[in-house]
Amino acid sequence: MSIEIDQLSFTYSGSDTKVLNDITLSIPQGAFFGLVGPSGCGKTTLARCLNGLIPHFHPGVLDGSVIVQGLNSQDHQAHELAQKVGLVFQNPENQLVAPTVERELAFGPENLGVPREEIRHRVETLLQQHHLEDLRYKAPYELSGGEQQRVAIAAVLALQPDILVLDEPTANLDPLSAFEILQLIAQLNQTMQLTVLLIEHRLELVLPHIQELLVLEQGTLIAKGPPGEVFNNPRVSQIGVAVPRMIQLLQQIENPQIRSTIPLSVEDALRTVLKEVRR
Amino acid sequence: MKKGMAAIFEAFRFKQKDTFMHRLDPRTTFFMAVSFSIIGMLFLQIIPLLLVLLSMLPFILLARSTRQWLKSLQGLAYLAGFILIINSFFISFSFAISTVLRLVALMTAFSLFFLTVHPDDFALALIKMRIPYEFAFAFSMAVRYVPTIATETETIRDAQMSRGLELERGNVFQKVRNYVPILIPIIVSSIRRALQVAESLESRAFGSTATRTSLHDLKLRKRDYTMMLLTILALAFVLYVAFVVQIQFPYLLPDWFFWGLPF
Amino acid sequence: MIIFENVGFEFEPGHPVLRNLSLELEPGQVVGLMGENGAGKTTLVKQINGLLKPTTGTVYVDGIDTRETSTAQLARKIGFVFQNADHQLFADTLQAEVAFALRNLDFSKDEIDDRVARYLELFELTRYQDQSPFLLSGGERKRLALASVLCVEPQILILDEPTQAQDALQKEKLLTFMDTFRDPEHILLLVTHDVEFAVKAVDRLLVLSQGQLIADGLPTHILSNPRILDRARLLPPQLTQLAHQLAKEFPNFPTDVTTIAAAAEAVNQLLRRQR
Repeated sequence: MSIEIDQLSFTYSGSDTKVLNDITLSIPQGAFFGLVGPSGCGKTTLARCLNGLIPHFHPGVLDGSVIVQGLNSQDHQAHELAQKVGLVFQNPENQLVAPTVERELAFGPENLGVPREEIRHRVETLLQQHHLEDLRYKAPYELSGGEQQRVAIAAVLALQPDILVLDEPTANLDPLSAFEILQLIAQLNQTMQLTVLLIEHRLELVLPHIQELLVLEQGTLIAKGPPGEVFNNPRVSQIGVAVPRMIQLLQQIENPQIRSTIPLSVEDALRTVLKEVRR
Repeated sequence: MKKGMAAIFEAFRFKQKDTFMHRLDPRTTFFMAVSFSIIGMLFLQIIPLLLVLLSMLPFILLARSTRQWLKSLQGLAYLAGFILIINSFFISFSFAISTVLRLVALMTAFSLFFLTVHPDDFALALIKMRIPYEFAFAFSMAVRYVPTIATETETIRDAQMSRGLELERGNVFQKVRNYVPILIPIIVSSIRRALQVAESLESRAFGSTATRTSLHDLKLRKRDYTMMLLTILALAFVLYVAFVVQIQFPYLLPDWFFWGLPF
Repeated sequence: MIIFENVGFEFEPGHPVLRNLSLELEPGQVVGLMGENGAGKTTLVKQINGLLKPTTGTVYVDGIDTRETSTAQLARKIGFVFQNADHQLFADTLQAEVAFALRNLDFSKDEIDDRVARYLELFELTRYQDQSPFLLSGGERKRLALASVLCVEPQILILDEPTQAQDALQKEKLLTFMDTFRDPEHILLLVTHDVEFAVKAVDRLLVLSQGQLIADGLPTHILSNPRILDRARLLPPQLTQLAHQLAKEFPNFPTDVTTIAAAAEAVNQLLRRQR
């Protein structure tokens, strides 16, 4: 298992509400999991637990355990866990700390004291893989939001983590940039066997890639399973999770065959409808 | 997109260029800038100050930064005007001119450094000079977020003006108070930003116990030693003129050296 | 009524952000403005309340040339809710926050008290009225920002990316709220990237690309035009995608469906016809 969470509860210092409540969950190596839930349900807090920001950076009361790649997050500092779990945040602007893209990619490995030749190799590889060569000497403010987020993802990958956790990485982007980022994430999962946990509102765009969907409400995991199954659960739509439009649509079709299928994409829905129409 | 307020910072913003000056080690450029500043401070006569200023021009030209330098001087215009008026009023016009020249010389030495040294190289240079990494990094982050905060400030001002805020309304005290609705969101946003940046830093192994390495290294090359040597010679010559010749053998200096306006 | 007459705008000479833009917005409309980042959307809406003044051409709001008035003057008529609530909240209490615009615009004390109470109530914030705005959650801060602009009761309301980082329930509430502005007195201008939301929310859609208006019309028509979508870096709504695919096979299938109900009805009809 890549991530093993056992009976995890967390309360931030100075507060008395449990933001996470008795969460048990395991994510296998190389899996692509999605995490949804209404605003304020604890999604960001869960993400912070995975790379040790909780409890090392944000103090509080943590019960239960989080084990990533065999390391217990309570016993290992954030900088150790950073080599196992890469965390990408919502606002790309605030993740870019270096004056140029090239130096941004080097920043993580530099902190770890990786030898210069090795850093140079990693930076060159990432620039190439992520098509960032033209942006090498650009400053963060010279990049578009989509480019900034691509750089932020590459900068996290420079630490060569096994797991990538993304907290609403497309919330600030225009639709096409969002789509490109989501495609990139799916591709990283497929080609590099990276374990991915994606927190995202615009799930429609990546649904076909997602193996399991987790639904969080007020700190409790209320549903877990393949997307089709989860969206069939009436409780999920009640709490403010947007059910993808194609699923909503087919649920209102008179034909029972169509009504019982759960399409994960427009192509899926089209195929189902065409099949029934042509029968 | 460049917006009004952000444009002010344009003059001080480092631009990556491939020139002799940009290729110099930041320590060399730093040494040159400090030496020129010292030289500028040594004289109060118009002609020597003009000479100091002229001697810096080739380096500005060499750095292909003339336009940015002129822009930064433009920003100095108000202050220069103020000095000119006050000093001519209380002392003399001649003195006023030499004070402004001195200011321009200092500013030029300053620009020479900031226009040709990459902020991150500056941070590296600080580390090389045995200043702790945290300090050097704080400096480079400050430079990094200047344009971001400038743009944000403008958005905040626009948001409050849309709610009917008039900055010019009322007496002096009220005018100061009018800025509160702008200042507080700037502070709050900056704190929020700082927290997010800190999370991102933590997530990328900042504060790791390992000894930090660096993708780029600074090396003093032949050109750096040459420039430093030339600078030392120039500095020594000027110090000699200023402290030995000027004081003990002033008659050796030509008349133009002491030239000034009669009013 | 808002009129743009051949409006051009540039921050720096030679780099136009808006080019020769003409446009009329009439009361009774909910209008969407879309376009890629940097297309000039924000620059355009800032012309309306005079935060920016046109370099060439003229902007009239209710017959007044924006160059001849101030943003503060226009603030009585125009409410502008910025994308990030943190960019406008500053007061010690929620009450003071809502009262801010009313005080700036010299409303009477009684009127201020009355409106503050009403608008806090309307946005379900009354129980926090003496608290600091900074203790609120993200969604509550967004509501407070809205209340603190709407209390002026402007005829024209501009919302900049109101759905950003909002969940489905919050978006539903926003939609209901926007409906209350759909009357003969008001103009609501929504700046957004959210195609799925826009198609539900607006009666008329404007698309901006590189400072020029490249489309103006019914959202269903525009959002099913691949050329426009491409230029504006937008993705078509999924219902539109499906409708277009089905129309390729069955030419009678309507491509201008925007609601689930309408689409379901069209598919059901298709199934019945084929039987």
